Amino acid sequence: MADSEMGEATLERKLAVYRNLDERFVIREEKYKGQQFSHIYFMRLHHMRSQLQSLIPKWKPHLPVNTVLGLEEGKECIIVGTLYKHMKLKPSILDEYSKERSAIPLVKPHNFMSTDDHLILEDESGRVKLAGPMLAPSAFVTGIVIAVHGKETSEGDFFVEDFLEAGLAPQVDRPLDSREDKFVAFVSGLSVGTNAFNPLQFQLLVDHVTGHLGDENEQRISSKIVQLVIAGNSMHISHGFFSGQTVAPKDHAKLTEPIRELDIFLTQLVAALPVDIMPGCNDPANYSLPQQPLHRCLFAGASAYNTFVSCTNPHHFELDNVQFVGTSGQNIDDLYKYSDAKDKIEFMERTLRWRHLAPTAPNTLGCYPYVDKDPFLIESCPHVYFVGNQEKYETRLLQGPDKQLVRLISIPRFCETGVAVMLNLRNLECHALSFSTNL
Amino acid sequence: MSSGDIKGFYRQKKKNSGVTKPSSSSSSSKKSKSKHYTGGASVGAPSAAQTPALVTRGGAIDLKEEYGDEEEALRQFDMDMKYGPCIGFGRLERWERAAAMGLHPPPHVREVLVGLASGSTARSSKFKCLWEGLV
Repeated sequence: MADSEMGEATLERKLAVYRNLDERFVIREEKYKGQQFSHIYFMRLHHMRSQLQSLIPKWKPHLPVNTVLGLEEGKECIIVGTLYKHMKLKPSILDEYSKERSAIPLVKPHNFMSTDDHLILEDESGRVKLAGPMLAPSAFVTGIVIAVHGKETSEGDFFVEDFLEAGLAPQVDRPLDSREDKFVAFVSGLSVGTNAFNPLQFQLLVDHVTGHLGDENEQRISSKIVQLVIAGNSMHISHGFFSGQTVAPKDHAKLTEPIRELDIFLTQLVAALPVDIMPGCNDPANYSLPQQPLHRCLFAGASAYNTFVSCTNPHHFELDNVQFVGTSGQNIDDLYKYSDAKDKIEFMERTLRWRHLAPTAPNTLGCYPYVDKDPFLIESCPHVYFVGNQEKYETRLLQGPDKQLVRLISIPRFCETGVAVMLNLRNLECHALSFSTNL
Repeated sequence: MSSGDIKGFYRQKKKNSGVTKPSSSSSSSKKSKSKHYTGGASVGAPSAAQTPALVTRGGAIDLKEEYGDEEEALRQFDMDMKYGPCIGFGRLERWERAAAMGLHPPPHVREVLVGLASGSTARSSKFKCLWEGLV
């Protein structure tokens, strides 16, 4: 869409129809009345069980489905419940009171697995230990709901012969009629306010995305970027400020400088294209999931534009009828601490197969004690699933058994790698944008 | 520990309210036994003294005989695992949640709760679950 008059070419940025679907993550009417986390687990079990029960007849139609309390020794059956993984090395607040503190060795800070971990299946009526070689504890975490087929042994364990995960949720068809390229740019881990932040590198990204860099060809590419998503950890407020003590006047600058610097960059961006900004673990937002949108007062300049959208974490939106779901990384990082996989993309695949964005919440990941819903359940499979603040850029196109197609994107930390990610809405192809100030 | 001072030592919340014990034979034999009991922690304690744990819900004494069929039905609803945990959650809200989930909770429970809503505030304890304040 360029004016081809000589010397006066104006390129117009492409537009895409945006719909924000964060409603289920926003905490509005919820009031804390002293409820415990048992309610969120109950809602999760109830919802996932009804999904699994519709899948069991296609899996093993001839076997009865029992409750845990209804198990009979030696009788083959199927039980559905929530998994609990007992981990010896999992840090427990009670360890402070244990007299044998020295018995627990210094653990690697990023992984609490041990060979002694075992799995327990639990439903409303009871719990039973799962035995057998079919379920490797290293691939599972507490909080997922599965169906297992097997029988109770004489020791009271349940010997697992086979198991069923819910699998990818049904997906709404992606519109295939678009013929033009439209790109969505993803970036995360800017960490404004730390030494790792390189303002020139980020300015390069801003200039490229807004179209201030390069010749006409490059500007043409930039004009096809319809949305920028900032997936968390845009600034870094030193954790020393979170101790609850009053901040000395001389330290006020340390608190506000990163926010102001980020606002200046953001204002340049929102003047050019729609920007979604999500909170991360280092941002000034609440700790437990779902993190609420960063407050508009933090962004005095950028919030004046209607292209500026402050979002929750996890974030769910739709662009030209393509469904996007993503987080700032806490859900995958927590899975990494309590289970094993060959790469982060595999963790992401697992969360889609388990139909739950953050299965370890509320066990090891902070989460709001919902009473009447579990907002992290994935009811419909997204087309694009992204996770921010990871070590490196990785991507895979996942194909499901029911013709689902999901683009999985692991967005690296920009302050460390200088890499942003570009996704083409037309064909879900992904490539990296690398910015470097080293000559 | 002089047994003479014990009666004043243990504050007696209730001596004899209008509670009638239907199973009078077993309880009266228990009463007579405790009077003769000369050892243990309850030495000298009058049998009608109430321990604080039984005093809940704004001072109402929580004895088995005091509640009627309504409370019994509400408690059964609380205890039914099919509708999920009951702790920290009002009974009416739990009923509404169960209905929204399609579990078909018994309608007469809702009628009792809604009927109480229009009643006096002294009955407000019935909106809280069985374990309120105890766990």
